[in-house]
Amino acid sequence: MQTALKNIRRSPYQAISAIFVVSITMFIVALFALVSVASQEILLTFETKPQIIAYLKDGHTSDQVSNLLTQLSNTQGVKKAIYISKQDALELYKESVGNDPMLLGTVTDWGIVTADILPASVEITAQTPQSFPSISTVLENSDIVAITPQGKKEIDFPQDVVAELTKWTNAIRAAGLVLVAALTLVSILTIIIIISMKISGRRLEINTLKLLGAKNFYIIKPYIQESFVYGVSGALIGWTMAYIALLYSTPFLSPRIGSIITFPVPFIIMLILLACMLTFSAALSLVSGFFASTRFVKRSK
Amino acid sequence: MIDFSHVTKTFSTGEIVLDDISFSVNPGEFICITGKSGVGKTTLGKLLIHELTPTKGTVIVDGEDLSKMSSRDIPRLRRKIGFVFQDYKIIPDKTVAENIIYSLEISGYDRKQIPVRIDELLQLVGIPGKGNLFPLQLSGGELQRASIARAIAANPPILFADEPTGNLDKETSVEIFNLLRRINETGTTIIMATHDVTIINFNHARHIHMEDGKISFDKENLKSEAEKEASREEQQDTREPKKIKKRKIKKIKK
Repeated sequence: MQTALKNIRRSPYQAISAIFVVSITMFIVALFALVSVASQEILLTFETKPQIIAYLKDGHTSDQVSNLLTQLSNTQGVKKAIYISKQDALELYKESVGNDPMLLGTVTDWGIVTADILPASVEITAQTPQSFPSISTVLENSDIVAITPQGKKEIDFPQDVVAELTKWTNAIRAAGLVLVAALTLVSILTIIIIISMKISGRRLEINTLKLLGAKNFYIIKPYIQESFVYGVSGALIGWTMAYIALLYSTPFLSPRIGSIITFPVPFIIMLILLACMLTFSAALSLVSGFFASTRFVKRSK
Repeated sequence: MIDFSHVTKTFSTGEIVLDDISFSVNPGEFICITGKSGVGKTTLGKLLIHELTPTKGTVIVDGEDLSKMSSRDIPRLRRKIGFVFQDYKIIPDKTVAENIIYSLEISGYDRKQIPVRIDELLQLVGIPGKGNLFPLQLSGGELQRASIARAIAANPPILFADEPTGNLDKETSVEIFNLLRRINETGTTIIMATHDVTIINFNHARHIHMEDGKISFDKENLKSEAEKEASREEQQDTREPKKIKKRKIKKIKK
């Protein structure tokens, strides 16, 4: 390891460029991993939550609401049906956005968010998603359920949300995977080029060591260790950058998805992420270092 | 210990460097291979460490036929043979000590013993206290000594010195020769390739002379020849009295 560190000290700019490229790759890997886990968590929440929300027209009476609730309670598969008034909706909204002045509308031209602009709704929790059709029939036949401009009843079914989220999640995953694959390739090539440059500059030394009876592994070991140092340093820097970015964006994310994902993200999750990143970067750097060094060592007699 | 048997080496250009060479080396011998530059002395060394392979014939080291040796076993062979290179091959950005450490690490020398061993070696080759100097800070003779120290660091049973005095003045060359003799006295087999016969004390070395890729003569060292002659004479002396005694006894009986 001392030889590897000495090699790094003797050509610091090459080392910095290698570590920089690996750090960027690892930063993107960390962000991609966090986004993937979060989207998976959000999907799971919607998939396992058989809850339907029907938005009500303004000007409905309490009799109409209790009539609808009775109808729903008598429908098979309905676990619970509750009425959310405009005021309740405002309270829920305030609870979910916290003190975010932007979302509360206190700093915008639109004015403060009030109960008037929020719709009243009925939240129905089903026992299983199989009971959705019968619940839907009741809601479709109700006069107080609001109608969209397209002429459809304004009802949120979880499967719609899940389908939309799945579409987005898949798109994000595909884009993330392509980005990570491209950056991984760039990191591997950068390490290979740097190690190859170093080895080609030490051809005399390698030939001499071979003539002295050194085994190939003895010769390539410092170069593999050097690329390992690049990989591990890159992973640590990338992880630190990702963690800082996450902490910095916590006030923004917490009101939006805080009900699904715990903020701040538990440190143990970040440690697991670090372990995964170290493993990935170690594998990446070992493969690159091994590939670059064996190519040269095999050539010399 | 080493056996070259009908070895021929032809290069891809068609040049025959060695032509049907045969000779054996016994353990503990000191052999000087002489001949003009380009006669094939270095090629012999390269064949010995499997840097080159013979076109014909066999090279056997310690009972192992090198032509049948797998590439995996070559490092093991090279660890048995210390090699003093004509161009020293001292790694320029490493100190003398670091160059020696390489050799010791390769042979699996006990790490704790390495500093002590380096001091011993530098003392033995006559450059004590110069371990921390870089090759650029050494003279030609000192570099050659450092090269010898690296070659013998792990106590290899065989030492091949390729033109170890090639770039040195007469006085230093004689010192290097004497150093190789001292190493030989510790039991190491020495093969020294040189074109300079003036520095060799043939009292102590077997002399193989090469011309046009062939061995023109192979003389045992004068000392051992003299010893053999002496022992032959001694044997004759001890035999003669017996004959006399037998004759005398016969005469007495008659």
